[in-house]
Amino acid sequence: MLIAGILSSLLFLVTLALIFSEKINRTIVGFVGAGLMVGMGIALGFYSESQALEAVDFNTLGLLLGMMIMVALLEPTGFFQFMAVWAGRLSKGKPVRLLVMLGTVTTILSMFLDNVTTVVLIAPVTILICEILGVNPTPYLMTEAMLSNTGGVATLVGDPPNIIIGSAAGLSFNDFLVNSLPIVLVVWIVALFLLRFLLRSELAGKPKDMKAILKLSPADALDDPKTARKVLLVLGLAIVLFFIAHFLHISPAYVALSAAGLALIWVRPNMKETLEKIEWSVLIFFAALFVMVGGLESAGVLESLVHLLAKASSIPPVLFGLIIIWVVAILSAVVDNIPITIAMVPVINGLGAAGMDIGPLWWALAFGAGFGGNGSIIGSTANIVVVSLSEKTRTPITSAIWLKRGLPVMLTTCLVASLLYALAFNYF
Amino acid sequence: MIIEGYMKKNVVSIADTATIADAALLFQKKHVGILPVLNAQGKPIGVVRLFNLISLELPDFFNLVDDFDFVHDFGAIESTIPSPEVLSQPVTSIMQPIESIDKDCGLMRVFAIMLHDEIFDLPVINADGELVGIVSRVDIGAGILNSWPRE
Repeated sequence: MLIAGILSSLLFLVTLALIFSEKINRTIVGFVGAGLMVGMGIALGFYSESQALEAVDFNTLGLLLGMMIMVALLEPTGFFQFMAVWAGRLSKGKPVRLLVMLGTVTTILSMFLDNVTTVVLIAPVTILICEILGVNPTPYLMTEAMLSNTGGVATLVGDPPNIIIGSAAGLSFNDFLVNSLPIVLVVWIVALFLLRFLLRSELAGKPKDMKAILKLSPADALDDPKTARKVLLVLGLAIVLFFIAHFLHISPAYVALSAAGLALIWVRPNMKETLEKIEWSVLIFFAALFVMVGGLESAGVLESLVHLLAKASSIPPVLFGLIIIWVVAILSAVVDNIPITIAMVPVINGLGAAGMDIGPLWWALAFGAGFGGNGSIIGSTANIVVVSLSEKTRTPITSAIWLKRGLPVMLTTCLVASLLYALAFNYF
Repeated sequence: MIIEGYMKKNVVSIADTATIADAALLFQKKHVGILPVLNAQGKPIGVVRLFNLISLELPDFFNLVDDFDFVHDFGAIESTIPSPEVLSQPVTSIMQPIESIDKDCGLMRVFAIMLHDEIFDLPVINADGELVGIVSRVDIGAGILNSWPRE
């Protein structure tokens, strides 16, 4: 069993290193890694195919897939563009107001829908609005990415790490609203003010043409209002069901998938086109990581980890939570937060098995994974999206520009989150 | 029908020593859509299209937005002018590689290539690779219609 433990840990670490190096696509690495883990398990007798299947958390995958289908239906309707144009018009072209409006719209959308899709669709309209105004789009793009990263932490469906945590810890949609939302709200406001301050020089100039903004027509951006209305109604229904899913003894995944089914039968889209919009690579990546972690568990690696961590349980739990926030945040700033979260789940479970009250630790993991992403240009996919879009403008966002603003935002939000976390610790 | 009979034989071109501002002036004066760039020996080394100049004002990001239905006023974009530094750069800095067509090529084939590659003007070369003319979509389209029966 010792050999199985060592070999499977080694495979897991090599896979993680390859994922983080970003030399090869992460889904390919995960896929191959999972295959090798199962093969190794069969050869050494510690892991079987059926165990690998059991290790896949279909709750997480189902919730992701259901939400992805609804986003895929909403995307072509022009709803996201409509929201951005509406926010732009409401700002009357005043820079700070535009920053707040666009930041708020992006946050609210990304609290319920996929961050990346939200940013991919809103950022181009943002650049267009900025060009029409004759202002630099950099502050708006950076704010959108950072606020959507921050806001996504508030809900169960806001961010992939939350979905993993929710499923692993059995946390409901309401648990997130009660435990995460209040802290995220404070952190979000702090982040907004800080961004306003850090980006003051870019926001200082007076726009060249403010009148043109008033001629923007949100209604013209909404290409298919009928479909948009249908999908939004179903999405609203899904959110209501998320609230009460716990009492109905149904999983959030079931709610999301049923809602997606309802939306599909109501809209009846071209299924091929809709399915092409689903991020299959993300789903496969998740499944692969689950298979790998399942292998580690079967090989007894996590048990040894628990023995190791049992010694750590003398550390005060609050301090443990704070350590998790900062370690995960720093890691999330430099590498993908999904594998970090999936790898942290068994560690926290191990601490639970060692007798620690792990309830509060899940929230530490969510905060660290979410707020850490702001720290660098590669910290989150939303950051990468706005940066690559900005390269098509006159003022590309460089790594240095991001670091100068993103790092202070990351450090401050983590600090505020740590303070609130410590204060609210006993209530988690 | 081959393009030789429908191309413009007197080709407006620009020297590789000219600036972007020179090219802009030539486009305006001659109302052409493409300027072959010639080196000191008179050999074409590339082309500048009208679009290459306009895109200095209308940058890449325009391709990112699906449609502009909701924009009724382009605001500051309307009055954005390339800076003097940009205008004083050599025309070779925005020059594109030559995509040309043989003078014996059929009209419909050229038209299909232009549609497919989203090209509006194309230099025409002879068997020795020398520039002998320029055709636009309009030249070719008119040439194709020319063969239709008249009533």
